[in-house]
Amino acid sequence: MTITTPVEPAKTFRAGDQIAVSVTKSWLRFALPASALAALAVIGAIIGHQVPSWLDAHVKPWFDSVYRWSQLNNGTNWAFRVVFHPIADAITWGNDKVLWALRTLRWPGVLALIALIGVRTGGRRAAITGVVVFSGCGVLGFWDDTLITVSLMLVAVLIALVIGIPLGIWAGLSTRADRVMRSILDTAQVMPAFCYLLPLVVAFGIGIPPAVVATVIYAVPPAVRLTSLGIRSVAGTSTEVGTSFGCTGPQLLVKVRLPLARRAILLGINQVIMMAFGVVVISALVGTGGLGQDVSDGLAKVDVGMAFAPGLAIVFAAITIDRITTGERSRKRARTTSPSALQAVLDNPRSSAVAAIGAIVAIAVVAKLLKLNDFPTSWNVDVATPVNKAAKWVNDNFRNGVPLVGGTGSFSDFFVIHLLTPMRDLFQAAAWWLIVVTFAAIGWASGGWRLGTVCGACFVGIAALRVWDLAMDTLSQVFVAVFISVALAVPIGIWAGRSDRLERILRPMLDAAQVMPAFVYLVPVIFLFNVGRVPGVIASVIYAIPPGIRLTSLGLRQVPSAPREAALSFGATSRQELMKVQLPLAMRAIMLALNQTIIMVLSMVVIAALIGGGGLGLETVYGLRKGEIGRGMAGGLAIVLLAIVLDRITQAWGSRRSAELR
Amino acid sequence: MRTRFTRSAAALTLGALLAVAAGCGSSTKSGSSGSAGSGAAISLAVNPWTGSAVNANVAKIVLESKLGTKTTLVDIDEKATWPGLDSGTLDAVLEVWPSGHASDFQTYITDKKSVVEIGKLGPQAKIGWYIPTALLKDHPTLATWEGFKDPATAKLFATAESGDLGQFLMGDPSYVSYDEQIIKNLNLPLKFVVAGSEAAEITAIQQAIKDNKPLLLQFWQPHWLQSKVDLTEVKLPDVTDACIASAASSPTDGKYACDYPVDVLYKAASAKLEAKNAKAFAFLSKLQLTTDQQNTIASYVDSDKMTPAAAAQKWVDANAAVVAGWLK
Repeated sequence: MTITTPVEPAKTFRAGDQIAVSVTKSWLRFALPASALAALAVIGAIIGHQVPSWLDAHVKPWFDSVYRWSQLNNGTNWAFRVVFHPIADAITWGNDKVLWALRTLRWPGVLALIALIGVRTGGRRAAITGVVVFSGCGVLGFWDDTLITVSLMLVAVLIALVIGIPLGIWAGLSTRADRVMRSILDTAQVMPAFCYLLPLVVAFGIGIPPAVVATVIYAVPPAVRLTSLGIRSVAGTSTEVGTSFGCTGPQLLVKVRLPLARRAILLGINQVIMMAFGVVVISALVGTGGLGQDVSDGLAKVDVGMAFAPGLAIVFAAITIDRITTGERSRKRARTTSPSALQAVLDNPRSSAVAAIGAIVAIAVVAKLLKLNDFPTSWNVDVATPVNKAAKWVNDNFRNGVPLVGGTGSFSDFFVIHLLTPMRDLFQAAAWWLIVVTFAAIGWASGGWRLGTVCGACFVGIAALRVWDLAMDTLSQVFVAVFISVALAVPIGIWAGRSDRLERILRPMLDAAQVMPAFVYLVPVIFLFNVGRVPGVIASVIYAIPPGIRLTSLGLRQVPSAPREAALSFGATSRQELMKVQLPLAMRAIMLALNQTIIMVLSMVVIAALIGGGGLGLETVYGLRKGEIGRGMAGGLAIVLLAIVLDRITQAWGSRRSAELR
Repeated sequence: MRTRFTRSAAALTLGALLAVAAGCGSSTKSGSSGSAGSGAAISLAVNPWTGSAVNANVAKIVLESKLGTKTTLVDIDEKATWPGLDSGTLDAVLEVWPSGHASDFQTYITDKKSVVEIGKLGPQAKIGWYIPTALLKDHPTLATWEGFKDPATAKLFATAESGDLGQFLMGDPSYVSYDEQIIKNLNLPLKFVVAGSEAAEITAIQQAIKDNKPLLLQFWQPHWLQSKVDLTEVKLPDVTDACIASAASSPTDGKYACDYPVDVLYKAASAKLEAKNAKAFAFLSKLQLTTDQQNTIASYVDSDKMTPAAAAQKWVDANAAVVAGWLK
């Protein structure tokens, strides 16, 4: 499985341009912003220490009144009757059909279908992996619930691609569209589903439709981003050749750009699937059933094993779909071996299609005749009991009384008292305008005027949402979580980048950590770290580390061999080669790792609030759990604004790094 | 490359079509379920706690076996239940805790009239302040709220999150909470900390009991955990009408300073249910369980590890007279 996070291309070289500004103008470059910041500070000091009461965007009452209006009018107003209800009906219809088809194939037929798709896309190896891993869902005892979840996912993914790929093509061709879309996509990706789940239920009814819509909102961004990236990375020479042969605009797109962008688009499809699986548990809240409901049931009973087993089934389903949608390399490798008779049949398009479909139908019919309706329960394996035993053992032995360190419980207390609380108090005690000015200054230093303005404006926006103190609380936790994540992910990533063996061992673990719903490990984390901000931070770290490790390792592996060989031939030691050559050249990827870590941590703010994290996340939880939509939206929007600031600043660092190296 | 795409697409489409064809035989038999003369199928909401699950399962058994009404159970979040009742996708919910749904009652039952209350369920619930009973041995004053006035005693409950004050733990944000007002208006040296979810709160209770550590929290009866760990409710000042009226929606400026009122659990149905299936509506309106009866069925699930469906069946089989009373 590849990184579940969108990889942003190097677009902004603003910082690099700034470096090129001539020295004579440097006084201007410094004095102007400095005086502007000073002016801001003066204005701020006049306004006062606290966020003034007039700085209020009235977001909460506005959303509350819109929500109440929709509650009262969703049966009669035309917008609901003409737009939302037909969409809901179409989604329900599609999902019913897919689920019905999967159930009709029965389990042998579904496995055969997976094998067929696997063979077509990734060769025999992908097919075998897919069949074995997907059988795991049945072995765990969740066959039918897996089908419910998978059919919901397939419908959502299909819709996300139908929306995302054309938008991505547009964004790839038009820079202006790209810029406008980027902020919307950021919002869609970072805005917690908790904010809009209830409004979606009011608009679309309960069950599958709101769940599919929520999943689509979350899964469209990678489709747009990667399609756009693919189109943009098509070399200018290729399009020029097309033009010189007299291609029209549409021809150029269909015959040149899209085929060349195919790889990126395929990666986009894969990412859409992974993102979609990330909201399985939340979507169960609106009545979809399936694996998400099983995880929720386990969580409601605070039964670690009971939540873990369906969580593992989600991982299995995601890995299956991932492996059979991305397997290009192994297919090519398979081809180089001498073709067997079977391979010959498979390589012939017509015969293979007919044979495969015939085989699937035959298997489904045989399964029907043999009454193989349910996955055999005699094959079931109980994972809940051993997991519970392991959880109990950890709980009994690590929390207290570990020699020297004291145990996770006292570590957690130390952490809260000496790091999280002082940092939060510092942020909350500082004058609000000072924070605004500080971030505007950081933005300016990292990416120039425009970025400084964006950062300052975002923080003013947070003040106007009337969630300032909560945002400062969240910001302090985000800093700590990001710091820990980077401190762990970068060294591991460097190590993995230099050791193939470690990379191989890590890959399935990273896959699982990324797709396993966080709800599964919330309880074990509280076991160890008590309810409060620390378990929230730890849960965020678990979720944020995988992309950090992946991107760092990828960055190191992408360093061209020429400079490394040159360094070695000059007598550099392995350590020198790492420090002086590999790391500097991989710096952009490492900066991207930092950036993705921050986004991942921010997307966990709400989950962290479920185990005592408080702050903006808890505000968002109120939106769903108490129906206080205005409160939830204010919290969610503030999370988005924080994400925009931190994302843009770290992206600017990344592009400056690469600009300096040129 | 493109041909491979189209090929696999064609293969998949064909496969799906054939699957549809192969399945036609099986679909015919599912169409004829439900006996003649039965009412329209209905769906009942199941909220994520044992009580809700067993009530719905008991109703399902009676609806299907006595009234011939096909019944679907839908697992769903409490808040999302109401828009479902509003549209008629869900027909009824059998256990509503009034304290958490005042705004839903106002919107859907009072204003929009798309949902109707169909009587009380029977059991009474109550939110309150709880501590582990074992604490009372060394600190008998903690049986009432006055015991918490002493900063030294309150500090027993201090955690890293609460600093010098004692920690008051609130669990699931969906529950009504006057705790901040009570703490402020009774001048208690406590800090209000939100755990964020019921799971987090239960884990905190289990750990406190295991380590024999003090813990003060908002909790409620009935709850499956109450039979597994020994908790005592702290006595707060008696609840009065004046006190209830003094609560403000903003937690910081209300004057609330007394105990929580009793929650009388009620049932609610979609306003469309009566026209859709009058027999089912009449039955659901009549269905009632005593606190003991509900606890008995819940214990089959929580202690004896039965599924809610099996537990409900066991109870229905053993209590034919009670069930017959609902159908009169």
